[in-house]
Amino acid sequence: MTPWVHIPQLLSAGITIGAIYALVGLGFVTIARASQIINFAQGEFVMLGGVITFSLLKGAGLSYPLAAIVAVISVVIIGFLLHILVVYPLRKTSIPILLIATLGASIFISNTTALVFGTLPKALPSFSGNLPLLIWGVPITPQSMWVLGATFLLLICLYLLSHRTLMGKAMEASSTDPLGADLSGISRNLMVFLAFGVSAGMGAIAGIFITPIFYTSYHTGTLIGLKGFVAAVLGGWGKNSGAILGGFVLGVVESLSVAFIPSGYKDAVAFVILLLILHFRPKGILGSPFIDSRRW
Amino acid sequence: MKGRSWMVLLVSLVIIVSMIWPSIASSAERSPYKIGVNLELTGPWAEVAKTVKMAMVMEVERINGMGGVNGHPIELVIEDNGFDLSRAAANMTKFARDKEILVVAGPFEDPLQATTRAIAEREGITNIIFCPSNPMVRGLKQPWSFNIAQSDIIVSQKLVDLCLARGYKKVLVFPASHPLAQSLAEYCKRFGEEKGIQVIISKETHKHTDIDMTPQLIKLKPIIDGEKVDAFYACTAGPPGPIVCKNLRALGIKTPIIATHAFGFHFIIDLGGEAMEGVEFPAAKPVVPYQLDEDDPVRPIITDFDKRMKARYGVRADQIAGYGHDTTWLIYDAMKRCQGNVTRAQFRDALENTKGLKSCNGMYNYSPTDHDGLTKRDLVFVRIEGRKFVRIKFPEFE
Repeated sequence: MTPWVHIPQLLSAGITIGAIYALVGLGFVTIARASQIINFAQGEFVMLGGVITFSLLKGAGLSYPLAAIVAVISVVIIGFLLHILVVYPLRKTSIPILLIATLGASIFISNTTALVFGTLPKALPSFSGNLPLLIWGVPITPQSMWVLGATFLLLICLYLLSHRTLMGKAMEASSTDPLGADLSGISRNLMVFLAFGVSAGMGAIAGIFITPIFYTSYHTGTLIGLKGFVAAVLGGWGKNSGAILGGFVLGVVESLSVAFIPSGYKDAVAFVILLLILHFRPKGILGSPFIDSRRW
Repeated sequence: MKGRSWMVLLVSLVIIVSMIWPSIASSAERSPYKIGVNLELTGPWAEVAKTVKMAMVMEVERINGMGGVNGHPIELVIEDNGFDLSRAAANMTKFARDKEILVVAGPFEDPLQATTRAIAEREGITNIIFCPSNPMVRGLKQPWSFNIAQSDIIVSQKLVDLCLARGYKKVLVFPASHPLAQSLAEYCKRFGEEKGIQVIISKETHKHTDIDMTPQLIKLKPIIDGEKVDAFYACTAGPPGPIVCKNLRALGIKTPIIATHAFGFHFIIDLGGEAMEGVEFPAAKPVVPYQLDEDDPVRPIITDFDKRMKARYGVRADQIAGYGHDTTWLIYDAMKRCQGNVTRAQFRDALENTKGLKSCNGMYNYSPTDHDGLTKRDLVFVRIEGRKFVRIKFPEFE
């Protein structure tokens, strides 16, 4: 049996999971662009989105859309708190210290979640049924369509935010030329603060959309955060388009790899790709504004 | 000068009396028998392991209320191992070095048992492990270690019975990559082929951390369609179980799913939702306490335990809480059969001679060659219907 017969089906699975990696990667990039910080608590935002929606839906008995909106708002507040309590007090230290601080915050968030919401895995119901739709003979679940739709909607919003609003342009400016931004009277602290909110909100939305497909638990944020980070680096660290491309490339390659190698190595594929890319093209597929391309 | 020496005498008298007093007071009742409990009270399995602790605390209080073991109360010394190998080993060593502790219950999860069993052998203390033994540790024939849960052998036997009862001739096994799931798959193949069932073990496996099994299942789909398999065996435990079912149905595959006894938890149904409908598996009796036969000898024990769990903690009894219950009563039963004051060696021999102890999960019989306790008669067939566990009966296979 040739492995080629599985390709369309694997491709559709890869695109769904790639959309998720793209969303998580975008969260990393949003913060990195504003402050050059790698926020390792990004995966926890995704986890919190799912877990809080679940507890509001099952525990407090809210309707699904209301629970989702409340969850996104609370995760945005947690994102703001992360900035106020962890990042802002350390703003005058070096980047590696901030990086370790976000790692510590991620462990804190995941363990607090375990204490507050329990350790059992949780799943949300699908938005619209479970019957797979047949598209060119390939069964696709409605939830996958929702994930793709949400990803594209968020991408458009993010594009409009960074190119069509003053706030977005100010965020952009403070990342590309900090000194110039300071001189033009842009408060960089405020920009980083807002970036944490935006990225937390994106993470939470990603979490709500993917929880019906997979499941969520207090410790699932770490792996998904890492994959999102790989996606962002793969596409070009610091570029929105890079994170999106990186996410889809990672998802599709990971999924297609199963056709040719035993599935036990699926998770390793992401990291092997990352190593290869970093070795041969350190600035990522689309190039990174943070890495001086003349050196490579 | 004279006044000061009187003071010294008085103070030393007070000290001496206060030191002796507790031992005078406690000699009235007998010294407690201590049990070490080494559990995953934090980490991914915390919520499940907590029910074991609840059950043990409740049952020990009950035993002590009935007068304890020949007048000696039982005392639990509970330590958390955080699902961490080094902490589980440290707890085990600590318990073993405490001469007052007679037996250690736990750990709960399979990956920790090999280490604590080795320590138990070295230190000469009985170790009762909640999870089933796996073929690697079973092969060692360690005299000091005992397992509570249904072993892979009896679950596979019961699963083959289920296939025979349903008339499945060809079964595809999709195992997880950990040793217990691998051995479940192997035994299923061995017992199945003895009864003329064709068992195909998939070369694709999955890890317990996988959140999406779609790629593996896509690769299996041509086998399911091409070979016309009658049933798909989701040979796994924990969250991957419902994920396999969800992914399989999302691919439009309608083959009946059979599963392991690890599916017998309500959170598994909640995770899988509609995809879990119609899944059948051999289950422990506490999964369906009120659907057991009226004349089943363990029915009154489970229903009574279930009522007490609900009254005290507000949770229903499941197989895991049942393991806590069973462990406590196995220890009590073995201690009662010891002559005089219980020692570690005496306790081990008594536990090994446990015969026909009826408890939540069934009838426990240990012997020098069998440290697993239960048999396939202690399992029932269960089907998930309307988001509930429903017992199905096949008279010729009960």
